[in-house]
Amino acid sequence: MYIFLCEDNIDSIFTGIYDAWASRYGHANISLTTCPPDNYTLFSEYITVETDYEKSEKVARTLRARLGEETYTEICQAACALEENHGRKKAMDKADAIYHTIVLALALKDGSKVLNYLGEPYVNRVFHLSRKAGNEAHHLLGFLRFQELENGLLFARIHPKNQVLPFLGEHFSDRLPEENFMIYDASHNQAALHPKGKGFFLTDTQDLNQEMLGRFSPEELEYQKLWCTFFENIAIEARINPKLQNQNILKRFQQDVIEFTRGS
Amino acid sequence: MNLQKNMDLLEKLTILSDAAKYDVACTSSGVDRKGTGRGMGNSIAPGVCHSFSADGRCISLLKILLTNECIFNCAYCLNNCASQVKRAAFTPDEICTLTMEFYRRNYIEGLFLSSGIMISPSYTMDLIYQTLWKLRQVHHFNGYIHVKSIPGADPVLLEKTGFLADRMSINLELPTADSLRQLAPCKSRSTILRPMRQIQNRITDNKQELMVYRETPRFVPAGQSTQMIIGATPENDFQIMSVAENLYQKFQLKRVFYSAFVNVNGNSNLPALPGGPPLLREHRLYQADWLLRYYHFHVSELLSEDRPDFNIFLDPKCDWALRHLEFFPVEINQASYQTLLRVPGIGYKSAERIVKARKRNRLTFEDLKKIGVVLKRALYFITCSGKMMYNTKLEENYICENLMRDKTQIPRDIREGGYQQLSFFDKEMRSDFQLTDTQILPPGQRVSSI
Ligand code: SF4
Repeated sequence: MYIFLCEDNIDSIFTGIYDAWASRYGHANISLTTCPPDNYTLFSEYITVETDYEKSEKVARTLRARLGEETYTEICQAACALEENHGRKKAMDKADAIYHTIVLALALKDGSKVLNYLGEPYVNRVFHLSRKAGNEAHHLLGFLRFQELENGLLFARIHPKNQVLPFLGEHFSDRLPEENFMIYDASHNQAALHPKGKGFFLTDTQDLNQEMLGRFSPEELEYQKLWCTFFENIAIEARINPKLQNQNILKRFQQDVIEFTRGS
Repeated sequence: MNLQKNMDLLEKLTILSDAAKYDVACTSSGVDRKGTGRGMGNSIAPGVCHSFSADGRCISLLKILLTNECIFNCAYCLNNCASQVKRAAFTPDEICTLTMEFYRRNYIEGLFLSSGIMISPSYTMDLIYQTLWKLRQVHHFNGYIHVKSIPGADPVLLEKTGFLADRMSINLELPTADSLRQLAPCKSRSTILRPMRQIQNRITDNKQELMVYRETPRFVPAGQSTQMIIGATPENDFQIMSVAENLYQKFQLKRVFYSAFVNVNGNSNLPALPGGPPLLREHRLYQADWLLRYYHFHVSELLSEDRPDFNIFLDPKCDWALRHLEFFPVEINQASYQTLLRVPGIGYKSAERIVKARKRNRLTFEDLKKIGVVLKRALYFITCSGKMMYNTKLEENYICENLMRDKTQIPRDIREGGYQQLSFFDKEMRSDFQLTDTQILPPGQRVSSI
């Protein structure tokens, strides 16, 4: 067995896929992983993947062309998903599931249909990972809150489980083209930055100016107050149901949503 | 008119959001609209929930009234001309400011603007039109807008407004013309249905124009919706669902909303409902509505003159299945999509996935679980490669008893909502089905109020 060790991010996984493919060891003898093994097995050879953006880009281009935009997006979502292991049973490696799904897709007459074949374990895993990341991204499209800083920048902080910034960046660039905004992913220490009138980009947040983030524009607190007033008034007293509320917007999202943190 | 002058924005918002809360809206509209690169806003088909209020309902739109002033006298409404409430009215500019500032902070997906009737229906509709015009043309707002059409307003205003809104709605209010006459004497079936028909026709024409000229402005692209109040008047579920089916078929509505009645003004001619609003009934109606829109069911299959109300203990699909056991078991690896749709525990998305996945592999129960089928419901009705999951009997009482053990038959939020009506249900449930406490209540919870 040849095992390619990737880092847990989309570019590293795509580079791993490129290297694995190019290695010509035969798909059945190849596996990819993003978790370094506790015990290296004697009969496997381990290959550490060096992230290479050009290789990653080539994989992305091939997938787009052969699988179509929709399936490509699903695969990206899966690559950005958090690998959660339930209990003792270890779930199939994310990178491995993606690799073998792509192998299958490229063997099909119509690669865009690959995610239909949920009876295939690899495909099933990709489908579930993608759905998890996709669901969280979709929730955050709504739950994310911008605050206007003194310098006019719209700033949002989130704590997602999955690496959803690329999806959020794209959505909000389309929605707010004339704003300078920043979405800060505090769980992965990354941010999506969007300068007015341009595309967005991702960046590390080591030297994020924390002090600046606390200085709001003069109107900001006014609008927060208006919003919280609306939020309180819109509930129907006869139907008050905090359990349902917390079921619909989980506590882990509430921490970044002003109407839940501001208190009345 | 005790409309107050010089009220600040916060106070107006307090009054006019409070007065708007009984209207139901949803942005899951099927409209995908990219941003234009200027101004702000886009729209995505599945809709986005931005928050959930203390009643657990989704907040996606800034839901406000233009004014709660009203010259009409609908009995169920707190804004009617007889009630002594504080009145307020927004200016179009104030609504624009709130919408734009809320939208850019991502509080909302757009605006839902309704209104009481100030001076006259056309006067009010014109103010609504002006507001939308400013939002679209001056502020270049490209997000989602849902407006209510005011019954009795000039059709020309309706038409102009329709080119600026994504969705329009006019509330049917009550399921029958009789009830409407009694409770909303200023409205009539015709002042409601006429504009509904007008908008429907305009949407149809617009679709044809769009096929010819791609640049034609779009008219109400997210379609029409309406709302009925449930439980204020004596109509049964069969009447209500038949009305809904008609609206879908004859008026091509996108959505019919059902709103459990709340006696807001303590009107003694209306039911008092000490047990709280009829939420479980509302829930069953929504489930049935779903069956009409996504599962190819007809009302006549679900209800009849002899069985005019839904089973409160079982969801309508399970209930139907139990009465049609001759239809089952269904073989997963062979049955048509339409057949799969009829199986309890198989949603329309799962049905689609099954049909696609089985092209390559014969599906097992394990696969079904991964696909998202709710096996604890489906297992009585299906086979995989000729085998049932367990050795279950295809027998009405047997299956019913087992399905009833599944507590999700009554959704958790209603079950645990602490409403008295549920202890009432519990009691009935018990006498009807001779169930014990443990079969009804989650473990660890005691029965107190019976
Ligand atoms: S028209 Fe009827 S329902 Fe509408 S605000 Fe006036 S009184 Fe209320």
